[in-house]
Amino acid sequence: MKYIVDLAGRRLTVEIDGSDVVVDGVRMPASLETVEGTPVRLLRLGDAVHRVVARRDGARGQYAVDVDGWPFAAEALDERTRAIRDVAAASESASGPAPLKAPMPGLVVRVLAEVGAEVTAGQALVVVEAMKMENELRAAGPARVTAVHAVAGTAVEKGAVLVELAAL
Amino acid sequence: MFHKVLVANRGEIALRVIRACQELGVKAVAVYSEADARAPHVREADEAVCIGPPPSNQSYLLGDRLIEVARRTGAEAIHPGYGFLSERAWFARAVREAGLVFVGPPAEAIEAMGSKTDARQLAIAAGVPVVPGTTEALRDADEAMAIAESFGYPVLLKAAAGGGGKGMRVVREPHELAAALGAAQREAKNAFGDDAVYVEKYLDGPRHVEVQVLADMHGTVLHLGERECSLQRRHQKMVEEAPSPAVSPALRARMGETAVAAARAAGYVNAGTCEFLLDRDGSFYFLEMNTRIQVEHPVTELVMGLDLVQWQLRIAAGERLPFEQKSFVPRGWAIECRITSEDPANGFLPSTGRITHLHLPSGPGVRWDGGIEDGSEIGLHYDPMLAKLIVHAPSRPLAIARMQRALRELVVEGVETSRSFHLRLLEHPDVQAGDISIQWLEAHLAELTSAQPDDDTIRRAAVVAALAAQHDRGQLAAPVHSAGAESGVREGWRWQARRESLGQ
Repeated sequence: MKYIVDLAGRRLTVEIDGSDVVVDGVRMPASLETVEGTPVRLLRLGDAVHRVVARRDGARGQYAVDVDGWPFAAEALDERTRAIRDVAAASESASGPAPLKAPMPGLVVRVLAEVGAEVTAGQALVVVEAMKMENELRAAGPARVTAVHAVAGTAVEKGAVLVELAAL
Repeated sequence: MFHKVLVANRGEIALRVIRACQELGVKAVAVYSEADARAPHVREADEAVCIGPPPSNQSYLLGDRLIEVARRTGAEAIHPGYGFLSERAWFARAVREAGLVFVGPPAEAIEAMGSKTDARQLAIAAGVPVVPGTTEALRDADEAMAIAESFGYPVLLKAAAGGGGKGMRVVREPHELAAALGAAQREAKNAFGDDAVYVEKYLDGPRHVEVQVLADMHGTVLHLGERECSLQRRHQKMVEEAPSPAVSPALRARMGETAVAAARAAGYVNAGTCEFLLDRDGSFYFLEMNTRIQVEHPVTELVMGLDLVQWQLRIAAGERLPFEQKSFVPRGWAIECRITSEDPANGFLPSTGRITHLHLPSGPGVRWDGGIEDGSEIGLHYDPMLAKLIVHAPSRPLAIARMQRALRELVVEGVETSRSFHLRLLEHPDVQAGDISIQWLEAHLAELTSAQPDDDTIRRAAVVAALAAQHDRGQLAAPVHSAGAESGVREGWRWQARRESLGQ
C-alpha cells in the first residue's frame, strides 16, 4: 500500500510492502508498536528505535506526530483518497479564505478589522484576552474583510466566527 | 517551628510549599477553588478547604476568607506562594493583625519596595546604582543635552505616560537629540495627550540578572548569588539559569553586596529578589525588588544546595540563619524551563483541554516541579504555566545537554505546550554560547518558531504517520480485533455495543 504523507510543508510517498517501507527510494524493515493505553509508540527502522508519539488528530488520516522533539501535523492517505481530497480542497480554496475563528474561549479586547478593508497576511484583526494575556488573531493571507462579528468587551466561545473574509 | 501552615495558592507552587511543610513535619492546609477540587495540591495536603468559585477574585484573592480558614483550621502561619496575594502589603498586615504569621517580609518592606518609583528612591538613598536619568519632564533640548552629557550616550527619550514603544527614541549622538526630542514629544502628545518626556541612559542589549536574598529576623542578611533571566517573551521569563554566564565571582560579590544593602534599607526579612539590568561593560543597575519566593527559585536551590521554601518557613518561625556569606559558592549549573500551555506554532496562543497522557522525565539531575497530572483540566481561569522542568549538572554545556535530554523525554498530550520551543531555543548557538540579552528572544522569535527539522526526521515522521494510518485501516476492516492501539474506532464500537445492550 502506498501512502501520500503531507507534513512540514512537504509531500512524501511512503510505500508499505509487507514488513518493509520504501521512502525516497530507500527500503528498510519498519514497524510501529503501540504502548498500551498511551499515544506513545516504538518506531523500529532496521535496528534503529525511536520513541515517538502518534495520535489521531481530526479527520481520517490526520495525525499529531512527535519525533525526537519535533512536532508534526501529518496527513497520511492512500493515493486514491489523496486525489479525492485534493480535488475537494481545490474547490474549497476557490470559494475563498476561511473566516477568522476564536481559537479558544476568551474576551474580545479590541476589534481592528473593518468591513471592506484589505488586509495582508499576518495582519492583526482581533485581540482576544485569555489567561490574562492579550492574543492578536491574525489574517492567514491577503483578503478583504466582508463582515465583523466580534464586539469589543464581549466573551466568545471557542470556534466562534469573529471576522469573515473574501479573496481579493 | 509551626505546627500547621495554610498554603494560600494553587498549582505547582502550592505543591512545592506543601512538600516543604511535610519534610519539616508541619501540617499543611490547602485551599482551593471549585475548579481545583481534584487538583494534586488538594490531595497532597493534610487538610483542604474550598474557598469559592473558579475566578481568582472570588477565591484565591479573598484575603479575609483565607485568614478565616487559617483560624478555623488552627494554622499559625500563611504561606502566600507567588502571584495572588503574595505582594499585597494589606494582606501581610491583615495576617499579622489576626495574630498569624505571614511567611514573607513585613508589610512595611513590601510597601517600601511596592512601586518602581518608591523602590528607586529607596535604592538611591541606600547608594544602590539605578539606571541614570530624570524623573521629571524635560523642558527643552538644552536641558536634555546637559543631562545626557552627565551620563553619556546613547540615551533613551521616554514618554512619561508611555507604553508600547510610543514616544520612545534612542539617541546615539548629541546632534540628533533636539530633533528626536521634538518627535518624541509630538508622538507622546498624539498617543497619550501628554507631551511630557524624560531622558535616561540607554542600555544596549542588557541582561536581566537578579540576586536572591535571604534575611532572618535577627539582622542577618545574606545573598545567594544570581540568576540569569534574560530569555523573556513579552516580559515573561521562559528560561532561567544559575549562575549567569556573564557574572564573575568578583561581580557576583559586588552585585550581592548591593542587593543586601537594598534589602537592609527596606527592613527586609525572609526570601526576596533584587532585579538588576546588567550592561555589557559589567555595570549593573537596580530595577526593583520582588518581595516573595520566585517561580525560578529552584535553580538557586540546586547550585547553592539548600531549600529556600523550608528556610522561608524557618525564618518566619524565628530561626536564625546559620550560614556565613562565604559558604555560598555556586556548585555546577542549573537551568529551568517553564512549561506552559501555549502553542508556539500558533503565536503562543493559550491551549486548553484535558491532559490525556503525561510522561515525566527522570534520571540524574532532573527535577520536575509541576501541578499537573493525567486527567488535569487546563482551563482559562489561571496562569498557563503547567510546570517547571529543572536540571542540575557540573557545567553549563552539560546542563544544556541534560535539559535537552529531559525535554525529549517529556510527553504532554492533550494540550499544546512550549516544550518544542524550548528545544529549539536550547539548540541555538547564541543560547549555547550564553550570548543573550533581554531583547534576544523577541528578536529571534520568528527564526525559532519557523525552524525546520532535518530530512531524516521528516522521513521518520512520515513513516510513523503512514504506519499509523495502515494500522487504523486494519482496525476499520476488522473492528473486533482487540490487540494494540487506543483508537477512536474501537471506542466507537464499544460505545455502540453498550447502546445495543441497553436496548436503545
